Amino acid sequence: MYQRENNELSVSGVSIGYTRSGNGTGEIFSNISASAGKGELVALFGKNGIGKSTLLRSIIRLQKPLKGKVFLSGKEISEYPPNELARKVSFVSTEPVKVNNMGVRDMVAFGRFPYTNWMGRMGAKDSLLIERAISMVGLNSLAHKNINNISDGERQRVMIARTLAQDTPVIVLDEPTAFLDLPNKYEIVHLLGRLASENNKTVVFSTHDLNIAIQEADKVWLMLDDKLIEGAPEDLVLDRSFGQIFSDSKLTFNDDKGEFRIAKSPSAEIALEGEGKEYFWTSKALERLEFKVVNDPNIPMKVVIDKKEGEKKWKLLTNQNQISFDSLYCLCSYLKSLKLS
Amino acid sequence: MYTGRKNKNILLFSSLAILTVVLFLLSVFTGSVTIPVKEILKIAAGGEPLRPEWGTIVLDMRIPKAVTALLAGMALSASGLQMQTIFRNPLAGPFVLGISAGASLGVALVVMGFAGFFAGAHIGGNWLVIAAAWLGSGTVLFIILLVSVRVRDIMTILILGIMFGSAATAIVSILQYFSEEAMLKSYVIWTMGSLGNVSKAELQVLSYGIAGGLAISLLSAKTLNAMLLGENYAKTLGVNIPRARFTVFFSTSLLAGSITAFCGPIGFIGIAVPHVARMITKNADHRILMPATLLLGGSVMLLSDVISRLPGHEGTLPINSVTALIGIPVVIWIVIRNQKFSNIV
Repeated sequence: MYQRENNELSVSGVSIGYTRSGNGTGEIFSNISASAGKGELVALFGKNGIGKSTLLRSIIRLQKPLKGKVFLSGKEISEYPPNELARKVSFVSTEPVKVNNMGVRDMVAFGRFPYTNWMGRMGAKDSLLIERAISMVGLNSLAHKNINNISDGERQRVMIARTLAQDTPVIVLDEPTAFLDLPNKYEIVHLLGRLASENNKTVVFSTHDLNIAIQEADKVWLMLDDKLIEGAPEDLVLDRSFGQIFSDSKLTFNDDKGEFRIAKSPSAEIALEGEGKEYFWTSKALERLEFKVVNDPNIPMKVVIDKKEGEKKWKLLTNQNQISFDSLYCLCSYLKSLKLS
Repeated sequence: MYTGRKNKNILLFSSLAILTVVLFLLSVFTGSVTIPVKEILKIAAGGEPLRPEWGTIVLDMRIPKAVTALLAGMALSASGLQMQTIFRNPLAGPFVLGISAGASLGVALVVMGFAGFFAGAHIGGNWLVIAAAWLGSGTVLFIILLVSVRVRDIMTILILGIMFGSAATAIVSILQYFSEEAMLKSYVIWTMGSLGNVSKAELQVLSYGIAGGLAISLLSAKTLNAMLLGENYAKTLGVNIPRARFTVFFSTSLLAGSITAFCGPIGFIGIAVPHVARMITKNADHRILMPATLLLGGSVMLLSDVISRLPGHEGTLPINSVTALIGIPVVIWIVIRNQKFSNIV
């Protein structure tokens, strides 16, 4: 059977947490083993407070793991002196960095920090790598701007460009999409995927946006309550692992659609007649109102979608009467008022 | 970096250097005794002046005082900049670590506490007071360094520094309460700061300390740049955090501690000057910001010295009041002009 070799990054039997003076250790998560190969985009997923940030911090040596080892390019990370480690792994944190009087290019230039002399003098190679990093993330037009005068999405790109200028085989990002709107979330994750495959880098990032991560990541590290499991996102859908993340909440994972839903308990049944997109979204609206949509003509309440010459109408048929609505919003308001009375 | 910026920097640094030289000369040429410019030039060139006492005034008083002002301005501004950067806090200054409070406690103990043993000890230009101030600030530094190796969050150090400072101030108050009027007055005068009590021999010692401290600050420019991003980012860029903290705290104590020991606690310059330097350089890079801060700090202190002399009047105003009165309008102007004061660092 095929087995991928040469892990660029591997975590072996690591326990994470904080050492407390006096009463022993505050272990958050124990015995984590996971790996990532060259050119792979890895999404770290798990619920709030489970220890995603702490795991990432342990990987880049911002804190020491309580137990276990982290290997980077075949060597244990504690064996790297600080300056050498900075040439192996770069990092983007959740907190947005705001510094007055600092240009975009200046921020990207920080990537060359581990390579320059005590004065920070840049050579031709440094300048080349900085310019290349800026154009790789599509920031050419903003390069002269001040870091405080650009949007959050743009600033996140600047921080990513900085890791590219740092020229490390591994890049670790802690919730790079946390402060972004939906299009920016997609673009940043897509950018990370492109950087991983085009530049043969190992990119590990934590996120809450599973729907986006599933579409781009080569691998998912999934932190469940007591263990971390890893695999292609599709593997984890097939073996029903995703559903276990929020097992203690009302959220359920829909294996067919690959998304989370709030589990609702339908209180009444309703029949629906129609076709196409309209049928799909009408049934969604009815489910939102906690109706169970069934295809049974004997049900006393029925919605019929009437589509004529580009005009849409919804008819609600009950035993007593028939009312028609020209939008789903009106239909829903009426149904809601019925339920209340 | 880019030619446009480079030319602007050359212009900026030449203007600052000229400003410093002009203010230095102004400080030497003015004073309560009027000496003709020609005579001062003659004295500086090693010639005999018309009146012998003029030689003494210029060589033993005015020049040492101007040099002291220059050193004090540079030292306090440089340590203020370092503190603002390492704590990422616009209100940090040279004394947030409790250095001046430690020095004050040392001096208070000598002047008011053990006054019986040293009756007649002349305050200010006195090695005993200097040693006490140095010992006081050195002790605070030692505690801060011990803590900084163990503590993960740098804000803890800031809070501890403020706590040490308050504790020292409390002890000083108790000493003041129980001390006699004459001693109390000598202590209060010490706290008002003075540039004029540094003798030539003392100035030599002071300048070694300041030169050492300034050299360390200039060499730390690259590390300080990384610290602007916060310690986490600095660490992932390869900065050795404990070593960086040690270096910065050490140079700050050397600079601020020495000036406090020789001139008393001089406030405000250390907080205000780095902000002005940021505004005029429009640059966050400490390789530009640090030298600009040094020149600007020296100039401001020389200007304060000139103002404190009140032309045509015997004696001088307390330097501490002058620096505050010059500094406050500047800071208010910056706050109002620049709404983003909170993330100015």
